[in-house]
Amino acid sequence: MWFKDMLDVSGKELRKTVSDTGVLVFFIIVPLLYPLLYAYLYSGEVVREVPVVVVDECRSATSREFLRKADATPDLKIISYCADMEEARNLMHRHKAYGLIQIPSEFEGTLVAGRQATVNLYCDMSGLLYYKALLSGCTMVSLDMNRDIQMTRLSGLSDWEKDVMTMPIENEYVTMFNPANGFQVFLIPAVLILLLQQTLVLGVSMMAGTENEKRRAGMVLGSEYSNPITVLGGKALAYLLVYGFTATYVLCLVPWFFHMPQLWQLPTLVAFIVPFLLASIFFSITISFFVRDRESCFLLFVFASVPLIFMSGISWPTSNMPVAWRVIAQIFPSTHAINGFARIGTAGALLQDVRVECLALWIQTAVYFMLSLLIFERMYRSDKMPGAEFVIAMRTRVRKNIRVAKRDIKGKLRIEK
Amino acid sequence: MANKNFGFWAIVRREVRRMHSRPLYGLSIICAPLFCFIFFTTLMGEGLPQSLPAGVVDEDNTLVSRSILRNLDSYQQTEIIKQYASFSEAREAMQKNEIYGFFYIPRGTQELASSQRQPTISIYTNATYLIPSSLLYRDMKTMAVMASAAVGREVLFAKGANLDQAMGFLQPIQMDMHALSNPWLNYNVYLSNTMLPAVLVLMVLMVTCFSIHTELKDDTAREWMSMANDSVLKAVSAKLFPQTMMFSLMALIYLVLLYGLLGFPLNNGFWPMLLAAEMLILASQGFAVFIASAIPSLRWSLSLCTLWGVLSIPISGFSFPVMGMPAALQALSYLFPLRYYFLIYVDQALNGIGMVYSAWFYVALLAFTILPLTDIWMLRKAAYKYTYLI
Repeated sequence: MWFKDMLDVSGKELRKTVSDTGVLVFFIIVPLLYPLLYAYLYSGEVVREVPVVVVDECRSATSREFLRKADATPDLKIISYCADMEEARNLMHRHKAYGLIQIPSEFEGTLVAGRQATVNLYCDMSGLLYYKALLSGCTMVSLDMNRDIQMTRLSGLSDWEKDVMTMPIENEYVTMFNPANGFQVFLIPAVLILLLQQTLVLGVSMMAGTENEKRRAGMVLGSEYSNPITVLGGKALAYLLVYGFTATYVLCLVPWFFHMPQLWQLPTLVAFIVPFLLASIFFSITISFFVRDRESCFLLFVFASVPLIFMSGISWPTSNMPVAWRVIAQIFPSTHAINGFARIGTAGALLQDVRVECLALWIQTAVYFMLSLLIFERMYRSDKMPGAEFVIAMRTRVRKNIRVAKRDIKGKLRIEK
Repeated sequence: MANKNFGFWAIVRREVRRMHSRPLYGLSIICAPLFCFIFFTTLMGEGLPQSLPAGVVDEDNTLVSRSILRNLDSYQQTEIIKQYASFSEAREAMQKNEIYGFFYIPRGTQELASSQRQPTISIYTNATYLIPSSLLYRDMKTMAVMASAAVGREVLFAKGANLDQAMGFLQPIQMDMHALSNPWLNYNVYLSNTMLPAVLVLMVLMVTCFSIHTELKDDTAREWMSMANDSVLKAVSAKLFPQTMMFSLMALIYLVLLYGLLGFPLNNGFWPMLLAAEMLILASQGFAVFIASAIPSLRWSLSLCTLWGVLSIPISGFSFPVMGMPAALQALSYLFPLRYYFLIYVDQALNGIGMVYSAWFYVALLAFTILPLTDIWMLRKAAYKYTYLI
């Protein structure tokens, strides 16, 4: 009975998961703690009060007003009024300040003459957020002061006339879905999805590694079941069960803890996350066949998280990636899932808005299922074949002999020299 | 000491053989970093994203609105790919990820503008994708202000002002922004300079920890120790020596790639950065040995090293500044070698200031290198007593 076999495999797999602390770390502890740490790291969303230094060569009422207003913006904080550029530069070199506002001596004179006066901004480019803070803080002040200056020059007109004169067309800016325009809302959904995929890959390949170690020690596994589909199906069922809980915590509770926007609707979220989990599970099973022992999964797969998050296009826009990387990115479930989840969770997209991603995930599920079936069947056959151990033993012995022979030849060559 | 089975070089030879016998080492020391080097530098090859897809909703459809749109499309970073009939259609396109933002010009804009009743035009961007959103905003904001100024300028010209006077009136104070050392706002410079060493650090931490603990797992640690005459310091340094060489080569590759081929800002010459990269590798190895000695379990020490390697990327502060993080994490950032490398890079490559400003960062890297001296005796103890537990 295949169904009973499948449940049987599932039960065994679950027991194996629970009894293996290494796998539990990946399936439970990492998803439990890592998102909290990561979200906490970005909980500030933006940088406020970037320390800047000032060189005021004008020393007039207007220049002081400008600096006072800049200091009052949430973006900037003036930490020192320097006598000259040398002193200011020194403070920047010692990482005390990340920006420099310099007001030239002719500043007020130019304004009084009715011409355009310039304020010089210098920014340390070690972080683009410093640049953003300095530019937006000072622009805000200059727009504000520009209006005041224009108003005084237009004396004689009514307030309303002045308003129209100074800004004939008003504009407003709305950052949709990420009200603070911050890092947390933008990066965390991607990290959460990637975390689910990567922990699955690591956990599953750790188990496969253990199995391989045992196989090398002479144990034959999985031969008691009638066909490989039940074994694969059973395994997938077990992982899906565990990750049902993990995903609920990671995707629903973690954003809720940190008050991130959660605009998803339950049917959409479930209909999207299930294919993602299935695709990730079969993806994990497929690549786990290449893992020889328990701990190599760390070395092989962890680093991939870094390029994977960039491949999703959440940071560097997909529209501007080289075609090759865009194609390669299609292989991984995380690419589609990050794009889909970011829009479902943060932007409130419905299933029809993410149907391309959803379809891609179902295709991946099918492809990786077939792939893992193919590899599993080959392995399973070779295990069941009479004398499989004998073949393996012979192969190792031959390899060892070759290695010894090579070493001997090298030794002889060295002696001859 | 004529016996060739003992001593530093014997262990080095043994380690080279071990590394050669397992493809895992080749994959993780050479292939993984090399892949990331190529990936990041080509991914952001454009430097600053160009022609970001954006949309417009022009409910006004008049001379004024069309002239605004025509100007908007002439910006290098914005490409208007489609005109939407209504606001909700544009929002849906944004949710489908077709566009990163759109311009909304409501009905009656021209009418209000020409009768001097101050209409409002709106800019919407999808900040779920922060970088394209911020860049689009910059273009669209400039555009909106320009559109407004164009109307105002016409009025002033009509009143007899010249261009100088008109600009002096429309924008009395202007900003002149100098982005020091990276005037192109190149994202490749901004991210790759730290991303490439970050991947290398991650691999150094894991490989070091893994290679030490597999000796314990495979039960070869006694042989290893005896080859070094029971000197654990000699055993470890000889074992790690071939890895140090390999990783240094990888570091050299990324330095040449970044500063030679791609010509990223390198304002103090090559040597300070080469020194920093070399010290970063030694510091990471030192840190990994420290962890490997302190925790006598392959899995747990490897897990910790991995966590440290992965966490060093956000916490070094190159994308989101450390000063924006909670205080506890700001303090924690001092415990990551990559953080010091990043600070050295800012001083030496980007800003090109005197070495004396970065001296303490080099010292910190040195401190990580000699950190294992405090607990390496525990590794020796483990080598003789350890049994591998699953």
